[in-house]
Amino acid sequence: MKRRTWLLSALGATGALVVGWSVMPARSRLGSPELMLKTQGDIALNGWIKIAADGAVVLAMPRSEMGQGVHTALAMLVAEELDVPLSRVRLEQAGADSIYGNVAMLVASLPFHPLDSEGENKPTQIKMGEWLVGKVARELGLNATGGSSSIADLWEPLRMAAATARASLVQAAATTWKVPASDITVTAGVMKHASGQSAHYGQMVAAASGSTPSGIQTKSRENWKLIGQPAPRTDIPAKVTGQATFGLDVRLPGMLFAAVQMCPMLGGSAASMDTKDALALKGVSKVVPLDAWGGGTAGLAVVGQTTWHARQGVQAVKVQWQAPDTGALDTQRIQADLLKALNEDSGFTFHEQGVPTQAEKAATTRIDALYQAPYLAHATMEPMNCTAQVKDGKVDIWVPTQVPQMARDMAAKVAKVDNDNVTVHVTQLGGGFGRRLDVDFIGQAVQVAMACEGQPVQLSWSREEDMKHDFYRPMHLAKFQASLDEKGEVTSLRIKSAGDAITPRWMARAAPHLSGPIDMPDKTTSEGLFDLPYGFASQHMSHVATKSGVPVGFWRSVGHSHNAFFSESFIDELAAATKQDPLAFRLKLLKDAPRYAAVLQLVADKAGWGTPLPAGRAQGIALHKSFGSIVAQVAEISLANGQIRVHRVVCAIDCGTVVNPGTVAQQMESSVVYALSAALFGKIDIVGGVVQQSNFSDAPMLTLSQTPVVETHIVPSTSHPAGVGEPAVPPLAPAVGNALFALTGKRQRALPLEV
Amino acid sequence: MQLNINGQSRTSTADPSMPLLWVLRDELQLTGTKFGCGIAACGACTVHVGGQPVRSCVMPVSAVANQAIKTIESLGTAEKPHPLQTAWIAEQVPQCGYCQSGMLMAAAALLDKTPNPSDAEIDAAMTNLCRCGTYQRVRKAIHRAAAAMKKGGAA
Repeated sequence: MKRRTWLLSALGATGALVVGWSVMPARSRLGSPELMLKTQGDIALNGWIKIAADGAVVLAMPRSEMGQGVHTALAMLVAEELDVPLSRVRLEQAGADSIYGNVAMLVASLPFHPLDSEGENKPTQIKMGEWLVGKVARELGLNATGGSSSIADLWEPLRMAAATARASLVQAAATTWKVPASDITVTAGVMKHASGQSAHYGQMVAAASGSTPSGIQTKSRENWKLIGQPAPRTDIPAKVTGQATFGLDVRLPGMLFAAVQMCPMLGGSAASMDTKDALALKGVSKVVPLDAWGGGTAGLAVVGQTTWHARQGVQAVKVQWQAPDTGALDTQRIQADLLKALNEDSGFTFHEQGVPTQAEKAATTRIDALYQAPYLAHATMEPMNCTAQVKDGKVDIWVPTQVPQMARDMAAKVAKVDNDNVTVHVTQLGGGFGRRLDVDFIGQAVQVAMACEGQPVQLSWSREEDMKHDFYRPMHLAKFQASLDEKGEVTSLRIKSAGDAITPRWMARAAPHLSGPIDMPDKTTSEGLFDLPYGFASQHMSHVATKSGVPVGFWRSVGHSHNAFFSESFIDELAAATKQDPLAFRLKLLKDAPRYAAVLQLVADKAGWGTPLPAGRAQGIALHKSFGSIVAQVAEISLANGQIRVHRVVCAIDCGTVVNPGTVAQQMESSVVYALSAALFGKIDIVGGVVQQSNFSDAPMLTLSQTPVVETHIVPSTSHPAGVGEPAVPPLAPAVGNALFALTGKRQRALPLEV
Repeated sequence: MQLNINGQSRTSTADPSMPLLWVLRDELQLTGTKFGCGIAACGACTVHVGGQPVRSCVMPVSAVANQAIKTIESLGTAEKPHPLQTAWIAEQVPQCGYCQSGMLMAAAALLDKTPNPSDAEIDAAMTNLCRCGTYQRVRKAIHRAAAAMKKGGAA
């Protein structure tokens, strides 16, 4: 079966970016010792690893911890290769050099079909695309925590950096002791020789410094002691005593607090402002009009002695708001526009195989369906915030961010200083889910700090501002059309969807220097639709990219989050229409995709698919690949008081080599709960430019009592590690929707699900 | 006004209507207690007042003057953890961790009153929101702590 892929779109998707990951050796990201922070008593051996006088290991950490356990998993890679206990690895925030950039995330943005782009025998054009984008990514050095890519990206470079450091240290001991390096053993960071000589790393690091051994091999997997074993997360102890420092917990001498209000109408601004009453309040010192930074909406900030004073001040400012020149946004109108676009525009073809038109002509039966998904907010538990100080031409920001360099660039732009004069201090993130890939609130904080004569100021958003001024998951519509022959076999599948593209809007607002003059096709619009594993002989998938004007962003699992609901629900429809068991139907179509089939079979076995359930219960199944990992889920549900009640979700995942199985289970549970909130309650409505939801009272989230039992089963694998933080989000909504169909016979084609 | 926080007497000059949360966080630098919603909906700001779990984001400070206020900072320490904190680590509960101070304080208040809670009692008491979805482990950790406290005979 011949598939066609689009190299042009691939390059466009990343804004005509950057050298093949596969052909770029991990050594090229080793970096020089000068890249690490100079600290008393520590000696750097490369751009990632320093050794302390007591033999402890200091790791340069470019990725943000937002709950996904990446600070533990990345430290495990280094501890493994250096043969030290995990507790001996300390983290230090990495600088801005391009070795710390995220190559894997950008390479993954290429819209190649997974059945072509995996394994050894890739077509030349795919190899070329990956090579080119990898090269650009390497040059750009964009440091971002996103796309479930941290382990996939740093798997080779970190192990290579640690193994190289270990080799230098062992060689230094060998030279000092005049013995062959191969006769030295290392246990818990202590080097020993049979002659009785012994030294820890700290005692040899000065001698090792400056050497760069070559030909280093990382450990073979049978020698792993840490990788693949569940490790307790190193960030947890501070998180149970209230000692972990999130953005909002930064406290500096003389610090002021600022609260904000943006124009309630997205994209609007203040026509006039009366600040008299606000400034008359005790504890309020300033009102600062805010520009629209980083794609956000203009508004105002009030500076006060505490957050509460500042918020009182915000309430007291009398403002005349005005809609943007482009008019007020409205979700109902946007929905109608999307339907029109779907029917009238041809869109961009992301995938085609076989001859769909021929199959369609010959069809005896056609099955059509229209699916839709609403706008969604991220609602991180820690609302947006940033602490900033602008003093003597220098800017310091303390911020929970997924993109420290973009944060730096934004701060430099607002303060009109060079990037080198900005220092970014990344705190713990109280949730990210993609919201903190944007830097709008950082621009605001620096603008306010500039008005505060050198005093540091902590700018924070209320929950209402956070809900009403998000970068939302875009609304999407998708039309499905299946053609069946006289034997009832599905011969062709045509999918067309419409909605806003995210990547071009994000590039334009957060990294304008990388943004192209025209929008190029964006994989995030089509992922989960163009890349289906099922062996339908003819397939066509296209997408119409719209520009609604709503600020849209990356929402945990991005396009997959709604597209998997569409595609896996429709696959279920086809099974039902042809009177086949949803599992058997899928397995039949997965003959050429054994990895997918294995995950699906595992989840079915573990969930007891097909075995009798208690009265009033039903199961639904779904399978989806995203961020390199295949996840299948079976949801078991019932109806209670007219509401969907999910009792149990069984997850099976093939995410390649597993670093910390504990984290994998955590992320399966996390994704199920996050996705279930969205499937049952999640939506954002915009009327007259104003987001109607405001807080957890009118935008409910799943609670403990509504949480199903979540089970995780991992497929053993020796493949390159893939993503874990997001891939269990997409299959949840279709699994629940399919269970609902099994229970009620009624198909739900829109989110949130309704009974 | 005098406040009794974590067994210490603290003086606050705050406006009487200022919510306890902001007195703790912005005036007294006790940042373990978190802001999540400002309308008592999420529980990230849960502290104990007179042994009861209270959502401090809507509690005027004047209403709690002279009452015993307990925050996450006095639940336990790394060296001397509360059984719930030990259980939280054993079950690897936190992810981002932002809501966990409130979760722990709500759980501690539950166990004070109901030393061996059923699942239904946990459902009823633990209404705090967590966007990382740590709920399943919160439930397990509460059961684990309850068992440990029963065995140990003390909190």
